[in-house]
Amino acid sequence: MRSFLNSVMFTMAVLGFFVYVCTYVTNLSGGGGGGGATGVSPEAGEKIFWGEGQCHTCHSIGTSGSATRGPDQEGLASRAEERAKEAGFGSGLEYIVESIVNPSSHVVEGYDDIMPKVYDPPIMLGREKILAVLSYLQTLGGEPDIDAVTKLKEKIPEASKTKVVPWVPPIEVDPKEGELIFFDDTRDVTCSKCHVINGKGAKVGPDLTGIGAVQTPQYLIESVLKPSSVIVKGFETMYLMTNDGMAYNGLLVSQDEEEVVLMVDEDGVMEEYVFYPDEIAQMQKQDVSIMPGNLSEMLTTKEFYGIISFLLSQK
Amino acid sequence: MTKLKPFMDFTSKKLHLRIAFTLFLVVFLIALATGTGTAQENTEAAKTTEAAVEATTESEPEPEPEPYEVVDYRNFFGIDGRLIVWIIAELHLMFAAFVLAVPIFVVIIEMIGVKGGDIRFDNLAREFTKLLSAAFATTASLGGLLAFALYGLYPAFMRYMTDVFHPFMFIYALCFFGEVFCLYGYYYSWDLLSKTPKGKWIHISIGVMLNVFGTALMMLANSWATFMMAPGGINMDTGTVTSLYHAFYNFLWMPVNIHRIIANVAFGGFVVGAYAAVKFMGSKTDEERAHYDWMGYIGNFIGLGALIPLPFAGYYLGREVYSASPVMGNIMMGGAFSWTFIIQAILIGMLFIGGNYYLWNGMSRIKGAERYTPYIKYINIIIFFCFAVWLTPHNLPLSGEERALIGEQYHPFSKFFGVMAAKNAVVNLLILSTFFSFLLYRRANKGETKPFSSHGRGARITLIITAGLTVMYLAWYALGLRGIELDENIKQYVSPLITCLVIQIIAIVISLLLTFANKGKFAQAFLFAVTTVMAVMYFWYYGFVVMEKANLVLRYLSVTQVSIVLSCLIVNTIIDVFLFKDAKEVGGIQWGKIPHRSQYALLLLCVAIVTLMGLMGFIRSGLRMNWHIYGYMQDTSAGAFTPSIAYMGWMISLIVILFLALVAFVFWLAGLADKKKKHA
Repeated sequence: MRSFLNSVMFTMAVLGFFVYVCTYVTNLSGGGGGGGATGVSPEAGEKIFWGEGQCHTCHSIGTSGSATRGPDQEGLASRAEERAKEAGFGSGLEYIVESIVNPSSHVVEGYDDIMPKVYDPPIMLGREKILAVLSYLQTLGGEPDIDAVTKLKEKIPEASKTKVVPWVPPIEVDPKEGELIFFDDTRDVTCSKCHVINGKGAKVGPDLTGIGAVQTPQYLIESVLKPSSVIVKGFETMYLMTNDGMAYNGLLVSQDEEEVVLMVDEDGVMEEYVFYPDEIAQMQKQDVSIMPGNLSEMLTTKEFYGIISFLLSQK
Repeated sequence: MTKLKPFMDFTSKKLHLRIAFTLFLVVFLIALATGTGTAQENTEAAKTTEAAVEATTESEPEPEPEPYEVVDYRNFFGIDGRLIVWIIAELHLMFAAFVLAVPIFVVIIEMIGVKGGDIRFDNLAREFTKLLSAAFATTASLGGLLAFALYGLYPAFMRYMTDVFHPFMFIYALCFFGEVFCLYGYYYSWDLLSKTPKGKWIHISIGVMLNVFGTALMMLANSWATFMMAPGGINMDTGTVTSLYHAFYNFLWMPVNIHRIIANVAFGGFVVGAYAAVKFMGSKTDEERAHYDWMGYIGNFIGLGALIPLPFAGYYLGREVYSASPVMGNIMMGGAFSWTFIIQAILIGMLFIGGNYYLWNGMSRIKGAERYTPYIKYINIIIFFCFAVWLTPHNLPLSGEERALIGEQYHPFSKFFGVMAAKNAVVNLLILSTFFSFLLYRRANKGETKPFSSHGRGARITLIITAGLTVMYLAWYALGLRGIELDENIKQYVSPLITCLVIQIIAIVISLLLTFANKGKFAQAFLFAVTTVMAVMYFWYYGFVVMEKANLVLRYLSVTQVSIVLSCLIVNTIIDVFLFKDAKEVGGIQWGKIPHRSQYALLLLCVAIVTLMGLMGFIRSGLRMNWHIYGYMQDTSAGAFTPSIAYMGWMISLIVILFLALVAFVFWLAGLADKKKKHA
């Protein structure tokens, strides 16, 4: 009996230590949470940033947090003003709103296009909560302006109510068949000649690895059928005319003082062309994507939805 | 002496049959409630409504009856439903882990007994099975209670889960019957089938079937849990099942299956070890002490054996969680749950330290072990060092004063111990050290060894096949790395991994040749040295390089690291088996002569693994945040919040106490029969 009691006491001591560690860690990590501000206010936004908004899993703010997947948000408000000017927005706040509503539109250089839309599942932040976060972000290098934030309310989509944005292919398709078509280099148009998935393919267009985790079916369908409607930053088509009157459309591979390199589609084969500054008469970005716009004619309906299903399975 | 008839004879076959019948009724009623029963209820309700309408039209108008209210959530007499489900589910899982794990090693122990003709193994297997049959009814009762709690407290959620998985629920019930019949058949036919060798093998076959049914049950239930984390095969808008196969075989199903099987074996081994420890400390005779000492040793051996590959299975599961949902992965390792992994590190550290401490204490009962004791302090230092690195958080917050003093956000020195490269390196070092410690224990009473050539062709062929398979795996992985399509500027960082794999292949071949040349000990040391230099030292450094310049390569680095360590463990184990086969014994093992304090190490192992299971259950389930089914069905109940770590600590402690108390009670019941025999 004594040995049994000793065992019980020992067990309680070990569990006591476990509870102590848990309590200590809670104090250290500040996991108490609860209560606090609500509505559109920087205080409420801060709580959401570090809580249910899960912003902190990718962004740190100065010495708070340690995430490095997304840019450090310290001084964001003042930085946003500069970026707004470059990108043609009226204010830094508008730039931040656009970055939240459409995260892929302004990916900061050096970071991956991984930010999810916070109003969609699984995060599903309500409009008011996003406004609160905006007011908090304003305090990072600037002053909060609740009125200005509230005026942008309509630009922020309402959170999906309870379910994920629906998408079911209208016909029964197999993602595996889509994968075969994606990598089939015997066809006139092969996706993998320009796109990489999991290291396979060429890096002419955007890398589609993990695309299913960050993009909606609607976006993918639109991107295949109307490639020019949204062109991923860094993949805009460049129009270049030489002094002798030759015109080229292609992707800008590199540009410096000595040369400009364009990737040009030559009858389905992507070739690099080097131009020296003194032979360039004109050069400007185009609104038309280099991606073929007639894929709907080159794919059967089943093949098309097969590819979309395959891309959506890339998570 | 007058024998008192007990109020209830817990060991009688009749009682067991009654329990089995009760369980049958429970399963039958659940099946009815989830399937035809509901339809029946609806029909009855419709009839009642019709009757009510008729009655109303004939008599005076009466006040409108209250409309039927569909409830999505209920609480349990004022207590939040989630709390109740948390406690019951954990208790059920813990008992289930025990009853699934024990048959795995019981059958192996029985087979060892039959092959070696040592009756002690057969007796030990039987004693374990006695505990098993006692715990089984409790597991089933808790399972029934969990089903009732879920259907009662989360009706809407369970309605949907039933809609999706109802075909598998019937298969589950069938497997349950299979397990019940195999378990009772296995336990009660022990004497009957022990009379002839053929009978014994039939008995072992029943044990194997018991494992098949048990594992099938676990895998079925796993698919429901993993479906909640990574739903597949349903339309995420309407919830319509588009593929039952994909709903069942969802993305996280197999990683969780693998992790749970290994973890369950470790769990079962350590619980049995604690049982033996308590019995050992209460033993009155040397014979009893020797028996329970040996039992504790076997329990610890099984637990540690399963614990060694567990971090690899955990890494695989974590990686797949990231792949299933990057948001969930971030919540796990970089968000709300990242701190819980510090607590996990403490508990795993306890397991490794406790396991090693027990082995070293065990050496005191072995004559000849004193030759190795001077080395133990070094292993101690290594293990505590590994533990400290594992415990170092990357984002250890510094105060403003400290930051000002240091001049940067993180400590310039300790920050390197918090990142993945350092943690991977020390986990592998911890495993290699524990394995080394076990090898010392094995050879503690062994003296002069026989030349390898004296073991015949069988030994040579076994060693060649084992080393050959290991080499083939390493070569296959190296070729895979070579063919991987990555950008050239990233791919250059893969080349050192391939080189390390090739070096390991060469090292294995050299150790094989050294063993054939009767230099087995040197072969082992050589392989250990090469593995440690590459998998621990070099990859620790190279991990930082990769993290800085080509983060994508880190996942290939981790797998290479694990492959090299595993190859070392496998080849060294086989060399060790033949190296000390028929070796002279310096002195026998004096079972029962182990210090009392070692038994507290066994208790520590048990409490730590039970607590760890509670903690990991909290993390796995909590990752869904406020979702019943991640991305499809939200938890809109009042309890849908992530509790603080302190709250979790209290809750898990309560669950652990309840589990251990129930286990102690059930084992006490199982032991009543022995007491009766002694008094008779």
